Amino acid sequence: MQRMIPVDKLARPEGHILLPSQRMRKARSEQGLAPGNAMPYEDDFLKSRMHGICAGEFQAMEAAGRTLYDFPDAPWEFQLDMARQVWDEARHAEIYMKLLEYVGSYYGEFPEGEVLWSCTQAEDPAARVAGINRGLEGLACDVFEQLIRIAQKMGDSIIERSVDYVLADEITHVRMGSKWMRQLTEGDPERLKKAQAFQDSIDDLFNFGGGRTTVEQAGHIKQRVNEKEIEIDSGITIAREARLLAGFTEEEIDRLVKGFGKSAAY
Amino acid sequence: MPELGEHGNVTGPQPIAQVVEPPGAMFAAAERLLNALIRGDRAGVEAMTAEQAREDMGRIADEIKPGKYDKFALIGRARVSRHYFLKARLTGTDAAPFTIQFRLGEDGGAWTVREALNLTGRRSGWTK
Repeated sequence: MQRMIPVDKLARPEGHILLPSQRMRKARSEQGLAPGNAMPYEDDFLKSRMHGICAGEFQAMEAAGRTLYDFPDAPWEFQLDMARQVWDEARHAEIYMKLLEYVGSYYGEFPEGEVLWSCTQAEDPAARVAGINRGLEGLACDVFEQLIRIAQKMGDSIIERSVDYVLADEITHVRMGSKWMRQLTEGDPERLKKAQAFQDSIDDLFNFGGGRTTVEQAGHIKQRVNEKEIEIDSGITIAREARLLAGFTEEEIDRLVKGFGKSAAY
Repeated sequence: MPELGEHGNVTGPQPIAQVVEPPGAMFAAAERLLNALIRGDRAGVEAMTAEQAREDMGRIADEIKPGKYDKFALIGRARVSRHYFLKARLTGTDAAPFTIQFRLGEDGGAWTVREALNLTGRRSGWTK
């Protein structure tokens, strides 16, 4: 049985444009945009940000399903949690498809990247949940919290409430990841170390060169969204409160803010 | 994604912005490029290709013998800001379909190919 299937084996419609992230970065650079699709924002940043999240939800759904399939001997409760996550991510994908329509976009308007799927490539279920549930879903907490604040400044309760609904699930996914990373590695410190190292590599990947900071310390820029100009963060922030709710320790969050170190077990 | 229907006659949230329609000139450029490839018009292809993509586009053009294909269809499209990635399939009576993906960008009114990839036999341009 093949584990860790390559990204180009994921089922997608024929017309879907799928790109390695370096090609997307190159296309942005050539247009004078920040390569990382983060800052500064372009005119339709809301569409492309939501599109990236929507693609991430699809890949998160596939990743949880794949983990369920790949480890048939894992504890039954672990399998149940993964199945629940597939269901959650499927709902999130539907929510974001509707949100895309709401902001004047559609799924497929922008290319889909492969970087999230690359984070699923771990042979050990403990490493998978460390990387996906703690690393990626932790990042989702940050991105969603920021999106909620943007929606509040826009005065848009549709986006605010929809994203808040999804964020609540992401918090439970992180907690799930912490629980299983700990339980699956119980009595095996070497295995735990490897799982943490996998999460560290993912945290590092999304640290944007150490350019992330707290909500309080973030700089601000003016951004036009449709007819309204609002002030938003000049970079991707770290959602301390949401991460605390998700079970990250203060120490772990501080390490993220400082631009990195090893993840702690708890 | 299929259009979900008329929005004005339903209750609930309505879109707060319009879908960005790709420029007609971009589609016209894509058609010119694909026709030039089908004809084996290397000069025409080269004229529409930025320096950085000439080597890749040259290899693609080498694969397409004149007369082998007689039709094309644009089967995919996505944008990164104002650049468009297009996926096209060339077909001919006695030829296996040929699929290419390329990026078009506009500069000074001219749309040129900035990168190109032969996707024949592959499902995507993703890394493995």
